[in-house]
Amino acid sequence: MSEKFSPALRIGDLNDYIAPSQACVVSLKGLKKNNTSTNLDKPEVVISAKPLQTEPVKISLKDCLACSGCITSAETVMLEKQSLDEFLANINKGKAVFVSLSPQSRASFAVHFGLSPLQAFLKLTTFFKSLGVKAVYDTSCSRDLVLAECCYEFISRYNASQSANDNGCKSSLPMISAACPGWICYAEKTLGSFVLPYISPVKSPQQTIGATIKHYISQKMHLKPEEIYHVTVMPCYDKKLEAARDDFTFSVQPQGEPFGNADVRITEVDSVLTSGEVLELMQLKSVDLSSLEDSPLDRLLTNISDEGHLYGVYGGSGGYADTVFRYAAKTLFGREIKGPLDYTIVRNTDFQEVSLEVNGKVVLKFALCYGFRNLQNIVRKIKSGKCDYNFLEVMACPSGCLNGGGQIKPKPGQTAKDLIQSLETAYLENVLIANPFDNPIMKQIYEEWLGRPGSEKAKKYLHTEYHPVVKSITAELHNW
Amino acid sequence: MDLLEGRFELKEIQTLEGHTDRVWSLAWNPATGSAGIPPMFASCSGDKTVRIWQHSGLQSWDCKAVLEETHTRTVRSCVWSPSGKLLATASFDATTAIWEQIGGDFECVSTLEGHENEVKSVSWSASGSLLATCGRDKSVWVWEVQPGNEFDCVSVLQGHTQDVKMVQWHPSIDMLFSCSYDNTIKVWAEDGDGDDWQCVQTLGESNNGHTSTVWALSFSPSGDKMVTCSDDLTLKIWGTDAQRMHSGDGYAPWTHICTLSGYHDRTIFSVHWSREGIIASGAADDAIRFFVEDKESSIAVMDAVMVTIVMVSEVDGPSYKLLLKKEKAHDMDVNSVQWSSLENKRLLASASDDGTIKIWELVSVP
Repeated sequence: MSEKFSPALRIGDLNDYIAPSQACVVSLKGLKKNNTSTNLDKPEVVISAKPLQTEPVKISLKDCLACSGCITSAETVMLEKQSLDEFLANINKGKAVFVSLSPQSRASFAVHFGLSPLQAFLKLTTFFKSLGVKAVYDTSCSRDLVLAECCYEFISRYNASQSANDNGCKSSLPMISAACPGWICYAEKTLGSFVLPYISPVKSPQQTIGATIKHYISQKMHLKPEEIYHVTVMPCYDKKLEAARDDFTFSVQPQGEPFGNADVRITEVDSVLTSGEVLELMQLKSVDLSSLEDSPLDRLLTNISDEGHLYGVYGGSGGYADTVFRYAAKTLFGREIKGPLDYTIVRNTDFQEVSLEVNGKVVLKFALCYGFRNLQNIVRKIKSGKCDYNFLEVMACPSGCLNGGGQIKPKPGQTAKDLIQSLETAYLENVLIANPFDNPIMKQIYEEWLGRPGSEKAKKYLHTEYHPVVKSITAELHNW
Repeated sequence: MDLLEGRFELKEIQTLEGHTDRVWSLAWNPATGSAGIPPMFASCSGDKTVRIWQHSGLQSWDCKAVLEETHTRTVRSCVWSPSGKLLATASFDATTAIWEQIGGDFECVSTLEGHENEVKSVSWSASGSLLATCGRDKSVWVWEVQPGNEFDCVSVLQGHTQDVKMVQWHPSIDMLFSCSYDNTIKVWAEDGDGDDWQCVQTLGESNNGHTSTVWALSFSPSGDKMVTCSDDLTLKIWGTDAQRMHSGDGYAPWTHICTLSGYHDRTIFSVHWSREGIIASGAADDAIRFFVEDKESSIAVMDAVMVTIVMVSEVDGPSYKLLLKKEKAHDMDVNSVQWSSLENKRLLASASDDGTIKIWELVSVP
């Protein structure tokens, strides 16, 4: 298995004694017949007995997601749809290409090229537009929508846990963040149903910006969803698996063809490129990012103030625990917390907790839990009913998302630890800390499209579901 | 006494029957066999059970307890905590169980989950505060023992490229060794800031290492040497600078000292180094063999010049000799050989695919 995936996924690679043909369940489904519709103009009677043309079975990440065996052993399985070639091809096809850049990737470029996050963003915009991209957006903007939904979700779960009698609503808390696809995949495939009810139903910033672009921005721009090709730039390979989930597609009726034609499936995110892959693209085009001109940012879905400052929340992995903690402290206990939260290290720097005391009693207890080993301990606690946290920000990678497997690699002589420290510093360099609920873009999206956080419409577009993967017999056989 | 000068015989004391499938592994309880406590060991099997055996006076070994209905598949490995109070068992059911002797009974007090599939081996550190597990998912896990029989996962180590066959802690310092189907032995240590664990050395083919699966390893009594056994039909002796290792002044690497080849013609599954310095091996040819260091030849070299361990191997070649070979020790593969730590007797237990355990005594013949 590729080392690019997060540790949670790598542990799931099970194929030691298995020959490649046996390793994958999908290949056992047999060969597909060639599509016969292309043969209509050929004679009805064919004299020479041609061998039946078969096309090789292709395995997509979707197949892998549905399987309880390995994730994927072969690099070649890495979706055609998730590659640089596919990205360039879609620009040339004349689709309206949108790029959504994550703030973690932005930091990766800033550190690599010695720029500020803002400079990196301005120059990345120039780079993408030179390729023909229509607009470059910022997933810290969609993340504010996610955070608002998470805050509402937490309050309702907290209230449910308080009002329930001893037996009821045991699965309402702790609420576990859902932005890490490595964690979600691991939970679905190996932990089964006991942990899934605790996971926040709110989509990740990647899928939220996807839904926003294909449902809302498209209308604003008078584009059909199928005319848009949407690419995200992420710190993480697992995000490719997330984008491939069936839950993140919807169908539309093709216009002008009222009868007969099947619905067109639209995916919220058509392709995910990692920071490293975008750097590769620059090298391919012989572009030095630092020498590019600045381009104005596309303000429609970008957290940039009128004065030209980037803004966002604390926390290199998205600030889920941070934001929900502040909101819950204020909403439930009337406590306004200014400045950074006072985290204490529990076991190691990847497992930290923060609590709120009211009248000498701990009323809120949140934790950041990064990396596979800490994830294991928290899962053990939940399973044995000994988890006393109200909220968990879980990420599969040690040091969280800034250290994602898709980030630009350390330079020669630079240790991984040095790099992550630079990334943590650069991440919030000249980035204003702003309450998501004050974000004017978010307010406008709720006003014009979703109503209010937690509304039915918000749930329809910004929430999702998780599915325990039942171990197939074939996968069990692999485990012999 | 120089062992090489004596003549020895392996005397069968008793054959223990009870397991209904192959016996994979056994472990002597380190807190027994002295101060009037009768010696005790545990065995584990493909029959999903663990059996506890105890010496009941005279020549008789009895099954004292059967630990069942916890593991749902083969129990592959078992090991006692240094205090002898807890027993850890690793199973193909992907779990590791912790058992405590409460009164006369053994109760499962904790179950460690996390491995994706078969757990192959478990080892308790010398201090008893750390536990390691490894398995088919290629990973090595380090667990910290918490009060109340709680176990926290402190590290999940990915480095081996295949099935990890065995984990073994160094007998005196917190350094972990693992060996694998990928033909290597890896050494793992806590990193400088104590935040996580990392691989500090890999002993592979390029280090004069094994050319096929490494099945097991064992340390010399002083902890400055290690023996490994393999599917490549050899035993290998490795050494380190003991002074440097204990001083904490950087990592003291392990180097190849010598290879014992030509003695085995089938896979060697198990190897164990006695307190007295006798290496026992158990192999797929149903035989048990004993090796000792040929002190004369190595001392001669050591006296000649102050040489490094590497040079000894270059100059000297093998300095271990076969002491005894017991043909047909079992009817089938010998999966495990373990010396007891009894002071006054060279007592060995062996476990086999034939479903039996045998207790042996290595006695000198006049």
